[in-house]
Amino acid sequence: MTCRLPISASISRLAISLLLIFASCLGARAQLSLKYERDSIPLFRGFAVSVDLAGLLHKALGSYGQYEAALRVNLHDQYFPIVELGIGSANHNNDGVTGIYYHTRAPYFRVGADINIMNKKHTGNRVFVGVRYGFTSYNVNISRPGLVDPVWKWDVNYDISGERCSQHWGEVLFGLDAKVYGPLHIGWSGRFRFRFSHTDGIMGKSWYVPGYGIQDGSVLGYSFYVAIDI
Amino acid sequence: MKHEASVRDHSSQSRGALRKGLLLLSAAVVACLALFVTACSSISCPVQNKVATVYEVNGTLNDTLTITTRKKDGRDTILLNSSTNVTSFQLPLSFQKPVDVFLFRTTKLPALDTVWVEKDDTPHFESVDCGVTYFHTLLSVRHTGMGIDSIVILKNNVDYDLSAPHFRIYFTARN
Repeated sequence: MTCRLPISASISRLAISLLLIFASCLGARAQLSLKYERDSIPLFRGFAVSVDLAGLLHKALGSYGQYEAALRVNLHDQYFPIVELGIGSANHNNDGVTGIYYHTRAPYFRVGADINIMNKKHTGNRVFVGVRYGFTSYNVNISRPGLVDPVWKWDVNYDISGERCSQHWGEVLFGLDAKVYGPLHIGWSGRFRFRFSHTDGIMGKSWYVPGYGIQDGSVLGYSFYVAIDI
Repeated sequence: MKHEASVRDHSSQSRGALRKGLLLLSAAVVACLALFVTACSSISCPVQNKVATVYEVNGTLNDTLTITTRKKDGRDTILLNSSTNVTSFQLPLSFQKPVDVFLFRTTKLPALDTVWVEKDDTPHFESVDCGVTYFHTLLSVRHTGMGIDSIVILKNNVDYDLSAPHFRIYFTARN
């Protein structure tokens, strides 16, 4: 008997493998390093604000996504404490197969830090690894109009309104940030998200969790952002 | 001087190449990730998604057992059809009615019993990709006593777990 991995696990493995390959390639070319670069550059190098475009794209193409902005502190071009704030929403209307409506909209935040692992820290381009802690508290509305009891044939009012849920999670990420022109940067990050704890209300599980994605013990995520140094 | 200028040019070219490489790499990886995430999704519905009550017969019922219930339109529907030598069986629960009524009919000992199961219903949700269902909490069970001696609740929570019985049913003795 063979055991088939779910497609999400296969994709996770593929994406992590790709990230490792990219990291190793960059390591060979750009000489990645965690060492503190001792030079005359001051510790505080300013702030950067960024907007995530991946969440907007996801929202435009599918039934869920998020609007997200971040404030990042630049310490010596090497350490980047960061706060990410966003509003995640899902509007899944009348699923074609199950007929389920699922609505949620709530803010979330993540805090953490990135470390620039390039050997030459001050070029404006960065290769970074980072960690995040995230939290969200959200209400969900779930309904299934027209549901009929399969045995007794009575009409059933399946309606969950304003069920309160919350989740704590962590993230590890790898990303690139490239200086495009002047203070303008673009970058991306691939993220492995893992759940610390969650409350799903009376109905057992929720589906989309703002800032985290589709509910599971762990998921892959990504961001693609545009940032401006201020 | 000429040598220093050449080194500076070379260094500047390297930085430019590195920046260009990073940009290209960024674009490629973001495109790949976007394709992966938007093109693929997994559906993780539970394989065992049946919600029912499990009745454990005390011993073996040496009789033929038929169980029916009455639907919304007033007609009877058969839930267990002429089963012999029964040791256990499963019965569904309604999604939202507070009390379900079952009719137990045996033939060897001609008897028709009515069983009332009182319960609380909780809507259960897995994912938008999976169908919806209800879990239940058993509150009480009553019955008539023609062919049934007694029914005991063993487990209150009715969900996907069918491994343990919810009721033990004692039928009156058959020869």
